[in-house]
Amino acid sequence: MSLIMDLYLWVTAALLALLVPDCLAATRPNFVLLFADDLGYGDLGFSGHPSSLTPNLDRLAANGLRFTDFYVTSPVCSPSRASLLTGRYQTRSGIYPGVLYPGSRGGLPLNETTIAEVLKPLGYATAIMGKWHLGYGANGTYLPTRQGFDHYLGIPYSHDMGPCQNLTCFPPDVKCFGYCDQGVVTVPLMSLDTIIQQPVDFVNLDDAYRDFATRFIRTAAEAQQPFFLYYPSHHTHYPQFAGWKSVGRSLRGPFGDSLLEFDSTIGDILQTLDETGVLKNTLVFFTSDNGPELMRMSRGGNSGLLKCGKGTTYEGGMREPAIAYWPGVIKPGVTHSLSSTLDILPTFAKLAGAPLPKVQLDGVEMTDILFNHGPGKREAMFFYPTDPSEKYSVFAVRWGKYKAHYYTRGATHSGTTPDKDCSVFAFLRQHDPPLLFDLESDPSENYNLTLKNFPEWATVQNKIQDLKAAFEASMEFGESEIGKGTDPTLEPCCNPECSPKPKCCQCGTVGY
Amino acid sequence: MGLQRITCLSIFLWAVSFPTAANSQNVSTPNIIIMLMDDMGWGDLGVFGQPAMETPNLDLMASQGMLFPNFYTANPLCSPSRAALLTGRLPIRNGFYTTNAHARNAYTPQEIVGGISKDEILLPQILKKKGYVSKIVGKWHLGHREQFLPLNHGFDQWFGAPNCHFGPYNHTYRPNIPLYNNSKMVGRYYEEFEISEKTGESNLTQIYLEEGLNFIRHQAMARQPFFLYWAADATHAPVYASKRFLGKSQRGRYGDAVMELDYSVGQILSWLVTLGIDKTTFVFFTSDNGAALTSGPHQSGSNGPFLCGKETTFEGGMREPAIAWWPGRIPAGTVSSQVGTVMDLFTTSLALAGLVAPDDRVIDGLDLRPTLFNNTLTDRPVFYYRGNQMMAVRVGLYKAHYWTWSNSWEEFKKGINFCPGQEVAGVTTHTQQEHTMQPLIFHLGRDPGEKYPISVLSEEYLAVLRRVTSVVEQHQKTLIPGQPQLNMCDLAVMNWSPPGCEQLGKCLKPPPSQPWKCDWPH
Repeated sequence: MSLIMDLYLWVTAALLALLVPDCLAATRPNFVLLFADDLGYGDLGFSGHPSSLTPNLDRLAANGLRFTDFYVTSPVCSPSRASLLTGRYQTRSGIYPGVLYPGSRGGLPLNETTIAEVLKPLGYATAIMGKWHLGYGANGTYLPTRQGFDHYLGIPYSHDMGPCQNLTCFPPDVKCFGYCDQGVVTVPLMSLDTIIQQPVDFVNLDDAYRDFATRFIRTAAEAQQPFFLYYPSHHTHYPQFAGWKSVGRSLRGPFGDSLLEFDSTIGDILQTLDETGVLKNTLVFFTSDNGPELMRMSRGGNSGLLKCGKGTTYEGGMREPAIAYWPGVIKPGVTHSLSSTLDILPTFAKLAGAPLPKVQLDGVEMTDILFNHGPGKREAMFFYPTDPSEKYSVFAVRWGKYKAHYYTRGATHSGTTPDKDCSVFAFLRQHDPPLLFDLESDPSENYNLTLKNFPEWATVQNKIQDLKAAFEASMEFGESEIGKGTDPTLEPCCNPECSPKPKCCQCGTVGY
Repeated sequence: MGLQRITCLSIFLWAVSFPTAANSQNVSTPNIIIMLMDDMGWGDLGVFGQPAMETPNLDLMASQGMLFPNFYTANPLCSPSRAALLTGRLPIRNGFYTTNAHARNAYTPQEIVGGISKDEILLPQILKKKGYVSKIVGKWHLGHREQFLPLNHGFDQWFGAPNCHFGPYNHTYRPNIPLYNNSKMVGRYYEEFEISEKTGESNLTQIYLEEGLNFIRHQAMARQPFFLYWAADATHAPVYASKRFLGKSQRGRYGDAVMELDYSVGQILSWLVTLGIDKTTFVFFTSDNGAALTSGPHQSGSNGPFLCGKETTFEGGMREPAIAWWPGRIPAGTVSSQVGTVMDLFTTSLALAGLVAPDDRVIDGLDLRPTLFNNTLTDRPVFYYRGNQMMAVRVGLYKAHYWTWSNSWEEFKKGINFCPGQEVAGVTTHTQQEHTMQPLIFHLGRDPGEKYPISVLSEEYLAVLRRVTSVVEQHQKTLIPGQPQLNMCDLAVMNWSPPGCEQLGKCLKPPPSQPWKCDWPH
């Protein structure tokens, strides 16, 4: 039998070799970056959610390289996005503490170099559709158009950052669940620097994105121009919404429908890539900004077997599903290599042949992982809380399969779970010596390793301590942009001269 | 696209694989293989999100077959679950339960007096009518006394053990569990069949694999339809793996056991392809109950997003990984939301063989052929029993708990925790809580982890309650509990002198009979 099996395996190997052509095209590759909002490690069909419907993401996972140990830099939105686009911890760019608001004075500093700005000088067409959340500012100072993006359609911050109680989230007329933020302008939809709708029409929003993406990809493909499309979706952030094609179609209620709509839009994008013939020259990368907002209960996401969720530095807050998909170039499979959103900018830059920004980067390029399924270059991951400070520094460090917690704290966002460590009532706790977990045998961070039960305890603790010290020595905190506060007059208003604000900032559908 | 690609490749490989005439075997009597794992959890498979992703063969099996995320066992403990699978009936009907105390899981440790009743009809007994040869490899667990053994209940062959592989024992108070080849013992665990307490090394899974492969080959050569019930138990504590797999998993010894079982599943499937009988063989993979979370961190699997584990009637105790595989018949790469149970394997297997289930008794199994072949959905309830008590029911996507209990305070304080890190107030109760007047209702689609009961004041609750109530009333109205078989224990009935012990010189002297009512703490 063993001879037969050997032959069988040999035939398999030979066939695979034939089927995977070595075709890293000479032309510059296109990049599509798909970024979900508040989506957890366990929310997708392929990541073990029993009632989610995500056929397109499952397909991406089956045909792409799936990351099991992929991290973001913050358990909340804006800082995580700042790191994604700059390849630097948010502490350097100043996108902390917490998140930006509609009237925030600050934003991602214009001297920060985004992925779009890395690629644009090489002739890339660049576009973003969806949630920016890196600042608006006076006269739209911080909008994506000032950060290297040629095209923009979307909401400049979270879609719950404006009253939503009278808005329709699901057709025909199911009102959004809850109230969202009160006392600010309703959520605007922007095209480039112009507000084209306020409040936004949720029910038709993803259709607009689909059309925008289709146009953008077709135009670039026809012009044979390399492109970068960044789609930071509003799905599956609270309040969930979905259009006609997705409403009521999942088994998972409003959250499932929102997720299904995200998945469908991804399917549409993939189809356009295929139809325009550029799929084989496009790296599609998918991940999410932070863990699930468990306080929303059945309307919150699911971190699977990971501990806690959004707002915390436990695994559930910052470990995310991730996929790199590039048919014919990236071999389908699974990688356990430690990786991060920080690594995306250096990877795209390397693949495009672009020089790296001349600043201290925290990301390392992932081509060894992508093309060889190799171990990659990342040695450690540092976990900042929602409110990083030099005093407390990082709350946790992951090195290899180990994670040490120097501080832990629950979060409002992760309330209502049975685990008492997750809720806001789990106050800040210092751990000296740090809690130590083996994330490979104990991904749920249940069983603390101690000197008694783990002989290498001191070696691992010391190594992590050294890495932490070296990292801290390299860290220069940028001026806090969020600390600059808010000014209601800066809130986006489609009718700037009107009064009384914020109520009067309302414009009908202009069409997009 | 992904699944399709894997499938295309596979089809191609099948095409180039060794053409034999065996595939021309009459498909009216397809071979049937049921692979039943022991204490493996829903979340242990890569395809169900286990981050270690160490089940490539099961994941491939899913991509070539049909995956069932909504598949259940009939009881959160091994013996009743296995009895239900082989009889197509709930344990409350087939007698695999106890009335010694309310809502207790009972099973068949070696002091149990009872076993599967001679009045029950097991799957292999009926398959015989169509000329099937049936073999069980691995754990039986329907009673270890001679009259209860597999060859007296329809199986033609057996290699394995009647009980769990607990031990070692020193023969003074307890004999080690015997392993049988057919109707004769061939040795005992920790004696002829080593399981190293220290390293967890044992080649039992390898032996079970060889037994399975040899049986399949023999039957293929003989062109005779077969039923293989492959019930390996490496993932049950004490977990074990052979040398080749020890230390290989990033999850520790439990993961090593999973990797070896996964490897074995792959070997069995490719063996079918090699022998050219893959197109005439229905294969189903599942597990007997949820992962035994209380054996964590080193000997427990994962129940993924589900609440609690083995012994409980929360989803973690009873929802099982499940994959159906039959190239050419079952559409590849499909995920079915059909609600299924292990009892359906009884009914479905009979239907595939062109046989009908006995009509003189209530059968709880559903014929899954419409789902398997046409991907249709059939509405059906699932009843969650713990011993003599219906604890919960699933109707559509809703689950109503009529009783809740994790385990007693007494047991809990000893460190036995069926829900580590998951204590949901008012749900994972440590006293037996009755909710009959106002069941706790969860929507398993929105809330698979059973954390957020639907408000009793909502319209949704009232509508669901009406629906569920009529299902439960119907069930209870027609329910005739079987004679409970798991009430009595006696040290004299243990495996002192199993059949065949004389030849081996391994007979031991039993103590005098002193029966007592078994104590079932859970």
